[in-house]
Amino acid sequence: MNTATFTPSRVEDLRLVTGRGRYTADWNLPGQLHAHMVRSDRAHALIRGIDTSAAKALPGVVAILTADDVKAAGYTDIPTGAPVKTADGSMQVKCAMPVLATDRVRFVGQPIAMVIADSARAAQDAAEQIMVDYEDLASVTSMDAARRPGAPELHGVAAGNLSAVALAGDEAAVAAAFARAAMTTTLSMDSQRLAVAPMELRACLVDYDASADRYTVYTPTQGMLGMRGSLSQISGVTGDKIQVIAEDVGGSFGLRGGSASEQALLMLAARRLGKPVKWVSSRSEHFTSEWHGRALRLIGHIALDAQHNILAMRWDHQADLGAYTCYFQAFIGTRNLSVTMGGVYRIPALFAHQELIFTNTAPVSAYRGAGRPDIAYAIERLIDQAAAEHGIDPVELRRRNFIPNDAFPYTTANGTVYDSGDFDGTMSKALVMADYAGFAARRDEAARRGKLRGIGFGCYLEASGAGGAPKDVVRAKFAADGRIDVFGVTGSSGQGHETSFAKIVADGLGVSPAAIRYRASDPSQELVGNGTGGSRSLYGAGSACKMLAARILELARPAAASALGAAPDSLQYVDGAFQTGSATAEATRRIGLLELAGRLARSADGGHPLDCEGEAVSGATFPNGCHVAEVEIDPQTGVTEVIAYNAVDDLGTVISPQLVQGQVHGGVLQGAGQVFGEQIIYDEDTGQLLTGSFMDYPMPRVGWVPNIRNDYNPVPTTLNALGAKGVGESGCSGSLPALVNAMSAALRSRGVPPMNMPFTPARVWEALSERAG
Amino acid sequence: MKVELTVNGKTQSMQCEDRTLLVDLLREQIGLTGTHVGCDTSQCGCCTVHLDGQAVKSCTVLAAQADGSSITTIEGLAHGDTLHPVQQAFSACHGLQCGYCTPGMIMASTDLLRRHPDPTDEQIREGLAGNLCRCTGYVNIVAAVKQAASLMRAGGKQSA
Repeated sequence: MNTATFTPSRVEDLRLVTGRGRYTADWNLPGQLHAHMVRSDRAHALIRGIDTSAAKALPGVVAILTADDVKAAGYTDIPTGAPVKTADGSMQVKCAMPVLATDRVRFVGQPIAMVIADSARAAQDAAEQIMVDYEDLASVTSMDAARRPGAPELHGVAAGNLSAVALAGDEAAVAAAFARAAMTTTLSMDSQRLAVAPMELRACLVDYDASADRYTVYTPTQGMLGMRGSLSQISGVTGDKIQVIAEDVGGSFGLRGGSASEQALLMLAARRLGKPVKWVSSRSEHFTSEWHGRALRLIGHIALDAQHNILAMRWDHQADLGAYTCYFQAFIGTRNLSVTMGGVYRIPALFAHQELIFTNTAPVSAYRGAGRPDIAYAIERLIDQAAAEHGIDPVELRRRNFIPNDAFPYTTANGTVYDSGDFDGTMSKALVMADYAGFAARRDEAARRGKLRGIGFGCYLEASGAGGAPKDVVRAKFAADGRIDVFGVTGSSGQGHETSFAKIVADGLGVSPAAIRYRASDPSQELVGNGTGGSRSLYGAGSACKMLAARILELARPAAASALGAAPDSLQYVDGAFQTGSATAEATRRIGLLELAGRLARSADGGHPLDCEGEAVSGATFPNGCHVAEVEIDPQTGVTEVIAYNAVDDLGTVISPQLVQGQVHGGVLQGAGQVFGEQIIYDEDTGQLLTGSFMDYPMPRVGWVPNIRNDYNPVPTTLNALGAKGVGESGCSGSLPALVNAMSAALRSRGVPPMNMPFTPARVWEALSERAG
Repeated sequence: MKVELTVNGKTQSMQCEDRTLLVDLLREQIGLTGTHVGCDTSQCGCCTVHLDGQAVKSCTVLAAQADGSSITTIEGLAHGDTLHPVQQAFSACHGLQCGYCTPGMIMASTDLLRRHPDPTDEQIREGLAGNLCRCTGYVNIVAAVKQAASLMRAGGKQSA
């Protein structure tokens, strides 16, 4: 167990298991000040005035920022992301969130003021003395309430609280298919609002260097360039003046792509006050004021012919945007739902009608999969419901309609091109793992014990991210200690990039992974690339790492040739060394790459002749799989036990099996959290958040899904250099439908009609009791 | 007020406000930032440390209550360069991803193994019920606790 002999699984592990990781709140700078936020405690109100006099008089208070200061500094609103096109060809109505509320607040938790003091406690004490004079307005905290005729409106420009109606697919073709269908099924499903809840609380520390007019921003992010870009957009400071530092990030899950109010305010404050300023969120602030996830309603309609071939699917979606337009949200309720709206099935006609709606709630943005797990869930649940309603075996219905292997590349009815897959093979493998053949006997045995057993499938497919940047670039710098530093902009928030990216470069060079150090953030800050998100970082930045290794060898070959006195083309590269292709082993001359690098002279500015960049352009891929869940419900208590969980995924080429398995486990459990417990609830009358802490918001705990078994049926993609399809979000996309279908099957046996998540013991017991009563 | 306590074997005496929480004393005054804060309702367990040998959530203990006590934090768990078996097992079993919950998980697991050297699944579930992880799905955390238990039993036999 000596660290000299113990090899950690990941490069990151040694510092993280010994408490030496550096998360944002762990950073402190000399002379730093501390900030605390004042937030709205109303869901919807006009601000008549803000009295800061009592707070200002308290000891230790240095400054109080309100909307006037934001305006005076020329800062603009929180970026709103790319707009979607509406059905009539116009663009969606966007309503950006001000950095600090001006004359009106629209959700509980909206930032109103920032207090800066010489200690965090002094800032908090002062914040409590700030008096906001509100004039309450009626609020709407659900999409149903927001769309009711005569409902209070959040924004004058968005009539009926509607931001957009977006369409996808062919409505007429779908209508025609339904007209000739032998059987149809309709099901409404909510993917309820969730807290993203990474374990690290949001935090930020900003240092302003007046002499260089440069800002150093320490904050957790999943994308250096996304964070820098949004800070630049809000503040008007050019990106080259902003350095983002995120050494260790305690989870992201879609939340940390860009800046919110606080990071921008700290830039403003650090510059004005000439001192570093630090802010650390509380968990309660996380619940009230950070972007939420999901918040979708998906209504599916399926049409089958007499032989159970799927003729068409129609979707009617509603996406709750919360109070303001932010970042990725327009995409979530539209493109991310429609791009794979036919799932793994050959469906001749597809159509989606999608409404984006404002409510008096925290804005909604990306959460693990950002709409993709939601549509996978809805498709697979609709398939099961159709099978149950029309007396078909759910496995047989799937098998009959899978896109066959000889159909790839397959273009869906709405124009998405799937490159590869083996859907039948994947499900067949999962059925064996889950011993589907033996299920009936297990169900009967459970019934004898008074338990309800169900088995459910999730044959998901998702479109992983194409990325916002045109390409991913990584840079190699040969370090003085003989190792190679690789820089990119794709930062880890737990995925283990320092391990997997180093492995890709090391494998490409045939050297030990220990010789490679990956770091997200090049001091020169010139690289382009994508953040970590959309399940794409491995095949995006990872492909660039593979290209980087090839580029290094290309540059090294002439140098090796001259060192070995041979022609460049005659050299072979074997096990990390160039060697002459001589007839006998004795005559072969070799030089290792790292040894060669050590011999080459550096330029005057310290540059090394082998320093170079690797880049890759990698588009969206289509990870897919079949997850099978088996549950047992105790009808006396409503308590559910997940008896077995088997997953077979096609993630393309797997680079780091242990890390990939970890992503599958984590994704499955995040799905289980939504299935069995998690739900953000607002009070309909007051608009207050009722689930504002981990006491009211059930996070998944140890043992919720105790036995996750996973295997692969890899069909490598040709869409990137690695053949990888991405893994970050697949677990969630498989577990939502598999677990809910298992629950639904068990409950259906007692006549319980379809119910929405979460399947908490109380809700399950109530549903069963209603049928019994 | 004045507080005197032994942290990772080193006795320290310091002034703090009456309302100071143990976790804030550790992080802000002593500079031991390996102990993390993940909530404000004692639910997440990120701040778990050992107080006189028992796992406690240091966000729920006033610094004043720890006066005269001996505290072990994640920084004090390894013996020099030799990782504690629980630290080793968490890495070996990939029981951590982002690492934010990890110090608390490891401190809670160490206490769990003190009480149950050969824990059942149920005992692990109970012992870690107060520690949240958003990344791993817990499967590998349970595996890590079991591997640590077997390492520690093997180590105990060797030294006996």
